Amino acid sequence: MNEIKITLNGKEVTAVKGEKILTVAERNGISIPTLCNDPRLDPYSSCFVCVVEVDGMRGLQPSCSTPVGDGMVIATDNNKIRQARKSALDLLLSNHYADCVGPCKQTCPAGVDVQGYISLIEKGRYREAVSLIKEANPLPAICGRVCVRPCEVACRRNLLDEGSGVGVDYMKRFAADKDLDDPDRFMPVTEPPTGKKVAVIGAGPGGLSAAYWLQQKGHQCDIYEAAPKPGGWLRYGIPEYRLPNDILDSEIEGITGIGVNIFCNQRLGGNLKFADLNKEYDAFILAPGSQKGTRLGCEGDEAENVLPGIDFLKQMELTGKRPDFRGKTVAVVGGGNTAMDCCRTSIRCGADKVYVVYRRTEKEMPANPIEIHESKIEGVEYLFLTNPVRVNKDSSGRVSSMTLIRMALGEPDSSGRRRPVEVAGSEFDMEVDYILAAIGQKTDLNFLDDLNAGTDKGVLKANKWGDIDADPSTLRTGVENVFAAGDSVSGPATIIEAVAQAQIAVHSCHGYLMGLQIVPPEKVFLSKKENFKKQSPTDYAGRFVPQKREEMPVLDPVRRMNFTEVELGYTDETVVKQEANRCLECGCTAFFDCDLQRYATEYRADQTRFAGEFNAFDVDFSHPFIEFDRNKCILCGKCVRICREYVGANALGLVNRGFVTYVSPDLDGSLTDTKCETCGLCISVCPTGALMENYKFKPGPIESTPVRVVDIFTSEGVTYDLLNRAGFFMGADGAPGIVNPDGSIGRQQRFGYNVLNRIDRITSPLMKVNGEFKPIGFEEAFALIADKIRASDPDDNMFFAGARLTNEEQYQIQKLARAAVKTNNIGSFHYMGRCKGYLDASDNNVSFSEMPGATAFFVVGAELTEENQFTGFLVSNSRFRKGTPVKTFTVNPSGSMRHKSDEYTVIRSYYYFILAVNHCIVTEKMYNLMYINDHCLGFTEYAESLARKEYKLLLAEAGVTGEVVSKFATDYTSNHNPVLIFSEKEICPDTAREIRNLAMLTGTLGKRSAGLVCLKEKNNSQGLIDAGISSARLPGNREIAANGSHALAAGKWGVTGMSEKTVSMKSRLFEGSFKNLFIFGEDPAGTAFDKDEMVKCLSESDFMVVQDYALTDTALLADLVLPAAYPWETGGSFTNTQKFLQRFAREADSPLAVNQLEQIAEIALRVGYRMSGTPDEILSEMFGFLTPNSEKFTIRPTTGPGKSPICDFGADMLSRQFALYFNGEMSG
Amino acid sequence: METRVIVGLGSCGIAAGAGKVFEALRNIKEEGKTVFQLSRTSCIGMCYREPLVEVIDDKGSVIYGNVDEERVAEIVSRHLINKEIVSEWIVKSENHETIDDTFFGGQVKIALRNCGFIDPEKIEEYQSAGGYKALEMIAAGKVTPEAVVQKVMDSGLRGRGGGGFPTGLKWKLTLNSPSDEKYIICNADEGDPGAFMDRSLLEGDPHSVLEGMIIGAYAVKASGGVIYCRAEYPLAIKRLNIAILQAREKGYLGKNIAGIKGFNFDIYVKEGAGAFVCGEETALMASVEGRRGMPYKKPPFPSESGLWKKPTNINNVETWANIPWIITEGPASYASYGTEKSKGTKVFALTGKINRGGLVEVPMGISLREIIYELGGGIQNGRQFKAVQMGGPSGGCIPAALVDTIIDYDSVTSTGAIMGSGGMVVMDETTCMVDVARFFLDFTYKESCGKCTFCRVGTKRMLETLSRICEGEGKESDIELLEELAYQIKDSSLCGLGQTAPNPVLTTLKYFRNEYLAHITDKKCIAGVCTKLLTYEVIPENCTGCTVCAKNCSVNAISGERKQIHFVDQAICIKCGVCFSKCTFDAIRKY
Repeated sequence: MNEIKITLNGKEVTAVKGEKILTVAERNGISIPTLCNDPRLDPYSSCFVCVVEVDGMRGLQPSCSTPVGDGMVIATDNNKIRQARKSALDLLLSNHYADCVGPCKQTCPAGVDVQGYISLIEKGRYREAVSLIKEANPLPAICGRVCVRPCEVACRRNLLDEGSGVGVDYMKRFAADKDLDDPDRFMPVTEPPTGKKVAVIGAGPGGLSAAYWLQQKGHQCDIYEAAPKPGGWLRYGIPEYRLPNDILDSEIEGITGIGVNIFCNQRLGGNLKFADLNKEYDAFILAPGSQKGTRLGCEGDEAENVLPGIDFLKQMELTGKRPDFRGKTVAVVGGGNTAMDCCRTSIRCGADKVYVVYRRTEKEMPANPIEIHESKIEGVEYLFLTNPVRVNKDSSGRVSSMTLIRMALGEPDSSGRRRPVEVAGSEFDMEVDYILAAIGQKTDLNFLDDLNAGTDKGVLKANKWGDIDADPSTLRTGVENVFAAGDSVSGPATIIEAVAQAQIAVHSCHGYLMGLQIVPPEKVFLSKKENFKKQSPTDYAGRFVPQKREEMPVLDPVRRMNFTEVELGYTDETVVKQEANRCLECGCTAFFDCDLQRYATEYRADQTRFAGEFNAFDVDFSHPFIEFDRNKCILCGKCVRICREYVGANALGLVNRGFVTYVSPDLDGSLTDTKCETCGLCISVCPTGALMENYKFKPGPIESTPVRVVDIFTSEGVTYDLLNRAGFFMGADGAPGIVNPDGSIGRQQRFGYNVLNRIDRITSPLMKVNGEFKPIGFEEAFALIADKIRASDPDDNMFFAGARLTNEEQYQIQKLARAAVKTNNIGSFHYMGRCKGYLDASDNNVSFSEMPGATAFFVVGAELTEENQFTGFLVSNSRFRKGTPVKTFTVNPSGSMRHKSDEYTVIRSYYYFILAVNHCIVTEKMYNLMYINDHCLGFTEYAESLARKEYKLLLAEAGVTGEVVSKFATDYTSNHNPVLIFSEKEICPDTAREIRNLAMLTGTLGKRSAGLVCLKEKNNSQGLIDAGISSARLPGNREIAANGSHALAAGKWGVTGMSEKTVSMKSRLFEGSFKNLFIFGEDPAGTAFDKDEMVKCLSESDFMVVQDYALTDTALLADLVLPAAYPWETGGSFTNTQKFLQRFAREADSPLAVNQLEQIAEIALRVGYRMSGTPDEILSEMFGFLTPNSEKFTIRPTTGPGKSPICDFGADMLSRQFALYFNGEMSG
Repeated sequence: METRVIVGLGSCGIAAGAGKVFEALRNIKEEGKTVFQLSRTSCIGMCYREPLVEVIDDKGSVIYGNVDEERVAEIVSRHLINKEIVSEWIVKSENHETIDDTFFGGQVKIALRNCGFIDPEKIEEYQSAGGYKALEMIAAGKVTPEAVVQKVMDSGLRGRGGGGFPTGLKWKLTLNSPSDEKYIICNADEGDPGAFMDRSLLEGDPHSVLEGMIIGAYAVKASGGVIYCRAEYPLAIKRLNIAILQAREKGYLGKNIAGIKGFNFDIYVKEGAGAFVCGEETALMASVEGRRGMPYKKPPFPSESGLWKKPTNINNVETWANIPWIITEGPASYASYGTEKSKGTKVFALTGKINRGGLVEVPMGISLREIIYELGGGIQNGRQFKAVQMGGPSGGCIPAALVDTIIDYDSVTSTGAIMGSGGMVVMDETTCMVDVARFFLDFTYKESCGKCTFCRVGTKRMLETLSRICEGEGKESDIELLEELAYQIKDSSLCGLGQTAPNPVLTTLKYFRNEYLAHITDKKCIAGVCTKLLTYEVIPENCTGCTVCAKNCSVNAISGERKQIHFVDQAICIKCGVCFSKCTFDAIRKY
């Protein structure tokens, strides 16, 4: 045996000789990071992130390519290894000129995923957008109005010609307002109660946020607020014309709505004693804010009518009264947002003149520029570079005037702003009636003694600035169960900073409550373009379409002498979408599945440690489905290798040497000019975001929920995930399945979700009235159908079921026809008139898993680079890995297999070619007589029938010489494991028969790794055969005329009087001898080769019912349309082209009140037959019909090239939509 | 006997003008004034004396050096016509002592046994010098492949490409790998800066390499052979192809070689496209197969799975050239040279600041001192010997203090350098060791194939750090950073290129750390090489006020009136050095 023993991290484990260390480690549950390894590909070893230490070997070994040896002692994790891995990551990142997240999210103190919610807003999913925002900020409607918007300042749109950042807040406000108005507004899911209680002091932004998140984690949160109403600064500091109280109340309801209690008029250290709270609560969050106004600080500032600005604002809110400033002059001192609130409020109180006195210039003002702009519109005047020296009083102690001095800007101070210095002798006086000092606030810690008296868990202290002393990284105070957040810790700051602090305090507090170690929240690694160079307009100019910002509609200035909200909000969704469209999507689409980023976080990589030269590239969008950002490439070579080794397209290569190496399509051109098959495997293997899907929408990125599905397009039956976010598919990715254990998928699966997003789904029955569809209830629809069926002769009804449907659906539909309606008029447009030759085409095929054992592939009429890429991968990989030759025989001189074939032979007719081959095999006695004698019937008759055919004529019809035929025959018979691949799309039924005859003659049918691979057109074409979608055949492919079949069905279904009459559905349809048409999951009108004829024929019906996802071309002709749910909304099974039956669960909710299975059962019930059942029950009933494969195969002569299909695309609207979509995109 | 005149027409000779010399001689011969045989040979190793012309007559052999057309005329008239030896130009002669005698004194020519003596384009000359005897001995004696392998093992020969893996053992592994097909490869992708051993050998004696390969093919039972030679060696390729044709004609290649039934073998030359990394065996094989020249992880070793996944034996040019000699003279003769673990001889290309640059073959065990001071004739211009760089970009610098190191694999490796393929670059006090490290890093960073992270990005970062240091922007932490990266690159690279790329930095850091520190802390380049760290200053005592320096200063950094002492404004000076080179009074000081 090749079994050996090795020591892995001190533990002895068994391995097979030649296995790689990485593989053995993974099998033993030890995860080793790797960026360049893929199980599908030969080991490569370029990233050196997977290094391990092996005793006795020099240096470190890449575990992906180092084979285990007997007695090897391996360490996969120690300091040296971690250092090396970190260095590898540092080096890779030092040349990774890219952003993980956009500057908006980077700059937002709370880390709100701006790009993510813009993506959701783009799709009109406002509730979802709010849900995403609230993960980081529970106050979107508030922040959408009054946030200082560092995101917009950082926005790279600012670098483009318009010079204005994306209107992030405007969009946020729009989404949040929409949600507030929605009766089903967003409320987060809360975890089960933990039994812990938290008291939050202060109902300002910090306290509200903390309570919101802690409550979600299952801790009961009670907020104690000193003021009469919650909101803190939001209510008492910000005037209503900026933030209406009803918005504030409504947003707070979003917090109390999940169970948070707010108790007002409770002042800690006043009427509220910490000692009492301490008895009841397990932990505390202090968020009292920083609300003590600062005095003006100059001579005479004690004069009457000199007030701290915030007292002025707060008083107004508390009393509900506005001061009367009519005829007065007000001076506001300061340049921040409070100053803006004071001056604009003063205007609204009727002041004659309002001055803002600011010691620097407008450029240095910390206030939001929009506020400054609006205040000027409203009449505020500015005295820049001016500072008060003295307040002059009149005899009664009131302000009479203020002495001001001119300032000049000097050297920059520690904040980077130029320090204002007084200009000597420039004093002047200005008459004023009121002075509002908006020059800062202080924290009031008068509860300190009370708190310390009430706890024995430590001491709460003030820091040197008079704020709460807390560890800045955890926000835990000196008292072990007391945490703090907001202005009271940081000093006066912004709302969003208070929210950000609440995140940290919550993280620590939650950790404390759960008995965990209290550590700062994990710092996620973020690659930043700014680490390489400051971004400048030239980096963006010309790369994006210029688009002006959608400005905020505001109240007419003449109508502002009140406290009505000034900003009116975006008016409609179009404007919002347009603004969303301005987002440059700076953040990386791969953010949530980037291995590089994940490892960089894990190993605390440092992008700047090895800073130096870097390579910068333009992003290549030239391929309609694949976006190529070489800036993010780490040269793992996976894309190059999978394209060569697995796909066989060889579309990518490495250019140059050394540091300047890069991956590029052939000849440095566009991928579209290569043999790229648009399979998307390069995207799936890329460990970073270098190769991404070229999305047709703003992809976010947003975390999504994978919906595991079995292919609904092709017959290979691969498994993959549709990435679902609120009913929108954000993408698709391969998942390991029975057919594709390596998770490989082709283009239909990877990009097909785009079609699903475009489908305008119907969710209720639609009835045509006067040529227009109107929604009706299911009840009404069923009654109508039942009436029509009852009113007709059973055989006047025709039923059709599609190859896209599940086995269960197909089975139930034929049962509806046979048992309920009592007719055998059941069939499919898919196989109409051509089924026979295909009936056993998939029997005894080579399974996909055995295909690597082939010694040669004969591809006869199958475009493996387009329709069946997964099969193509297996063929190409065998060709690459083992040199298995690929011999293509096709009627298409410019077919897609040419460059992937070792031989490419153009023939005229598949049928005659195979017939000629069989003729040659029989006449030259190249057949396998022992096999034939053991396994086959009908050889003699077949040989005789062939003998009657003239070989020369066959060759002429086949369009080849005798040499070509005899070479094929020799090749095929002399190969140990020949595998012949053909597709029903290309090959007619009789050819399929002859191909099967060939496999029998040569003794390859049913042999391991040899014989046939039949590719059917649709995911469940085989199901049509197994489920009895055929007039002449019951489920289990039982001929209705055969002995006992009819009785078996009658018995199983408990029904009498079933019809034994079988018909040709095709003739009957085209003769028009029917009344009612029932078409389930097929779109003959949309897919027919002769559309006019089909439409004419369908229009013959008296009554036509179509069941599908949307109004297909066929549905448009119907009298009644029934909605259908997606397979993953019902669960069920598909049988792939190799007769693998794959069940899948119900993975998502259906928007339908009654799904299609229930609909079918209900119709049956209305016509007097009860047939219900879960998908599992239905399937096991269907299994009862299955017959074992007969022991003998029959070699059957054929009469000539068979029928061709009536419909393209397997008669399925999805396949057609995909083809239209795909070809449309590819042709630009 | 008829007088023979032989012109050295190796690349070195041609570069020095030997082509014209040969033409001149042919013209004279055609004019018929005197009768002599004119033929060509290749490099004899004295590249520093090229063009060389050997005259052989009754009095024996005399080699004249630095021959040009004028000297040809004189040699013809004096030596050929008047039979008078032109003693002042003799560089080598059996009967005359010359100043160059010590060049050959310590040499033992085994691999280079025919170089410079035979016409490499004539198989007959190789044969008459004993060529193909080894092969015929094997054929005649029915020596088994196993026995051949044993002889090579007994000789103690180790891979001369630099790795030093025992050749016999390698052959044995390949011989023991079962396969229907096996291959032999001659690695002639010589790429180290300053190395030309393989080129000289291929140009001078291609048949010795072919014969070695044929013997190797017999020994490991290979049927196909490839010589992977860089395309920059056109003369070597031309002569190899001539040799292959001749060998086929003589039945040394093809079917039933040398009459040995069933021994079928042939060789073709594959021209490399100029990637240094293709000298690495796995990359070389990828390149032969038509793929991008990128290394892959060993094992599997080529002896198990090499070219086209078949067992393959790769040896370097010099290794192959030794084989016939070992067979004919016996392994013991070979093993009689050298030290316990390093047998035989080694060819070195002597270059740099040495008086006699050229090709030498010395027995293992000789000291560096002997090579540099005796064979090499010491340092140019009487300067101080500072270090010798061995092993090219994979090697390291051995400092003057270790000049008594003897040449064998272990001793050289213990200094931090490597034996390498034979490049030996001699440096003197005017060489800046940081700059040397930067030079080699610049080479490897450019030549990295780009596959492994550490090699691709790490060497770039090391180079950037070294450049910063050379430009006076080094930080104290840079040395630590260099060392950390160096060890990590060595530890975590797939192939020899990456695994050894940091060696020049590590050895210079080991022996010349003070130079690094001077660059970083004092912002000084002791050797005066790193321009940005130089100061040019007028020496007042020497300045005559001639104004030449000021006139030539492109940035007008020098001021001073005629006949007055001049002055360099350091704030303006761009350290171009023009003043220094223009001053005829030694009045500009550079430090």
